[in-house]
Amino acid sequence: MSPVPAAALLASLAVLALAAERPWVVAAIAVGLLAACLQAPRTRRFVYLAGTLVSSLSVFVISPFVSTEGSHVLWEGPRVPVLGLLDVTSEELATGGTQALRFAAVGLAFAAYVLLLDLDRLLHAAGFARRSVLAVGLATRLVPTLERDAAGLVEALRGRGVEVNGVRGRARLLSPLVAGSLERSLNLAEAMEARGFGRPGRTQAPSPAWSRLDRVVLATAVLVVLGAIWA
Amino acid sequence: MGLGGFGEIHAEPPGRAEGGPAGKAARAFETASQATPQRPEAGSSVAPRLTSLGAPCVRALGTTIAPRRRAVFRQTLLVRVAGLSFSYPDASAPSLSDVSLRIEVGEVVAVLGPSGSGKSTLLRALAGLVPHFHGGRFEGRVEIDGRDTRRTHPAELAGRVASLFQDPEDQVVFGRVANEVAFGLENVGTPPERIWPRVHAALSEAGIGHLVERRTETLSAGELQRVCLASVLALEPALLLLDEPTSQLDPAGAKTLLDLAVELESAVVVSEQRPAMPLERCDRVLFLESGRILLDAPREDALKWLAANRPGYLPAEAASLTEREADGEELCRLEDVTYAYLDEPVLRGVSLTIRRGEVVALTGPNGIGKTTLAKIAAGLLTPEHGTVERRGRAGYLSQDPGRYLVADRAEDEVALGVGGNLDLARGTLGAVGLSGFERRHPRDLSSGERERLALASVLATDPEILILDEPTRGVDPPRKAELAELIRREAPYRATLVVTHDLVFASEVADRGVVLSTREPAHV
Repeated sequence: MSPVPAAALLASLAVLALAAERPWVVAAIAVGLLAACLQAPRTRRFVYLAGTLVSSLSVFVISPFVSTEGSHVLWEGPRVPVLGLLDVTSEELATGGTQALRFAAVGLAFAAYVLLLDLDRLLHAAGFARRSVLAVGLATRLVPTLERDAAGLVEALRGRGVEVNGVRGRARLLSPLVAGSLERSLNLAEAMEARGFGRPGRTQAPSPAWSRLDRVVLATAVLVVLGAIWA
Repeated sequence: MGLGGFGEIHAEPPGRAEGGPAGKAARAFETASQATPQRPEAGSSVAPRLTSLGAPCVRALGTTIAPRRRAVFRQTLLVRVAGLSFSYPDASAPSLSDVSLRIEVGEVVAVLGPSGSGKSTLLRALAGLVPHFHGGRFEGRVEIDGRDTRRTHPAELAGRVASLFQDPEDQVVFGRVANEVAFGLENVGTPPERIWPRVHAALSEAGIGHLVERRTETLSAGELQRVCLASVLALEPALLLLDEPTSQLDPAGAKTLLDLAVELESAVVVSEQRPAMPLERCDRVLFLESGRILLDAPREDALKWLAANRPGYLPAEAASLTEREADGEELCRLEDVTYAYLDEPVLRGVSLTIRRGEVVALTGPNGIGKTTLAKIAAGLLTPEHGTVERRGRAGYLSQDPGRYLVADRAEDEVALGVGGNLDLARGTLGAVGLSGFERRHPRDLSSGERERLALASVLATDPEILILDEPTRGVDPPRKAELAELIRREAPYRATLVVTHDLVFASEVADRGVVLSTREPAHV
């Protein structure tokens, strides 16, 4: 399948997950996207799935404490300045669960986009705003690069007997990681300029023609978005 | 893991030792009682070398190297540099001073010189990246094909000029090999119907046609450098600039890459810290020092000049390593070690023993598992099968010096591993030739200086087992000789494993060599 209809389908599923009111619809989208993400290599998918899980759980845990709805109180806590009385109702839990599912579905759609789509082909298919799409593509690739750089820094520190433990230890790596990515981006920019990037009159290598499946998927994506808006 | 023929290799056949591997290893460590040599006090005489290598262990080839067989270049001027001086922004000294030279169409020029002598800056000036990309103070004139680089943007020179830089990971834009090679062709406006045929032709020429659909992040450094080479070959440039292109390649890969480059019709300017291969293939040699050209001469004359003035840069051949029966205590023993990344097996049934007082050189082609073996020996990776026993702490030098840039000053970087002991850090910086660099930011150092900073960061921790992964990457020949001397001087106090593609360096530094050549079980 071409990456453009696939990306459109993922985007439409994310829109549907945000718009749908029935939790089972959101859950079905999340499960489907999770199944898709599981097709990616284990080492690559771990960061994205773990990130989505932690973020969604955070939404589920925090949501009942910052919202006030429902009358079926399950737990009542102290009164806190600004937030008022802390309590948890069954309605808040249901809402928090749905919001967490929505968050998970959107996160999984992004994970599937990064893990499963050929971003090169997506970029290639972008006939307009090519520079912006290239920037997005390079930024997307930054995540695994940063991950690799961080692992390399930790390994080099361990190699001289320095263990990196806890949040504070890892936070110390933030500055060298950012500096490293800036240096890398400068080197990359230099290499791109040396290869003619930005020169007027560029051409584009021919792309394979879309198949019937590509057209069907794109039409489905459009219908899903229209359906979500209309319903 | 099979063994190739690198000097004399200490090969221990399976089953030679008594009992099972684990029991054998355990006994060896239980009974090891070799006296630990004491480190001489500061200022005392240097401890004697334990090696029995004959001197000189590296034979300078001088003017005996075979001339390249490329067709003689056509005498048409392609590059003219006149009175070029250049200083980077905020630099205290110029990187290039009054440089003048001419390069003909099809000529191959080797650029030699110590780290920081201005080689990379000169190449960037020829690509127009200096001053356009870097800024700075630029005097003089550089003309490529009659076009003044001050008035011509580097992107406009692309196609006629192509650059291959040292680190392939910093050059790759796309995730798929085919798209990466097509990128330059698209930028320079190649007709669409000619792009894919030229991509495939360039990949085949670089010997990596089978990688066309592979994702770039799954390639080894050597494969990635070849992809970068294919990207510049596809452009069919008139001037090819190679900035230490073989620093991450094994000797066979380096030879292939340089052979491909010089067989083009292009003029080639190649800067290298392993000068033997460029000197075999060039027409002319430039020697830079402190930003000035000390020598600009045809190869034969240059070889005589190097022999008289800079013998460290002469091509040398690796001496055979004599097998020396190490008698120190075993500090590191790997027994039947197996490792795989995902489903890709890298090591299978490898055994290796390193003793106190010996330096073992581990060589082999790119991607064979040398780094994996080194990391397992250092305790940074855990093997899936087999046993690893270490007596004492292991220190590991990564092959990427960019991983030793955590602190804001060089002395703080080294002090990280020694509890903040700045005196020790400064002393170690001095030992690797970085006196005066203590307060410099590590990111302001050149690639060779970064390599030495990384080495100092590991050496300062005084490990019992010292594992150095490609310690000579980007290091110039005189510094390599100093590094070899330093490692030899420290060798009696520890077990040392040096992973390297530099066979000359290996023969200078090691007592014995181990070659990983296949993924079959081996006991070494």
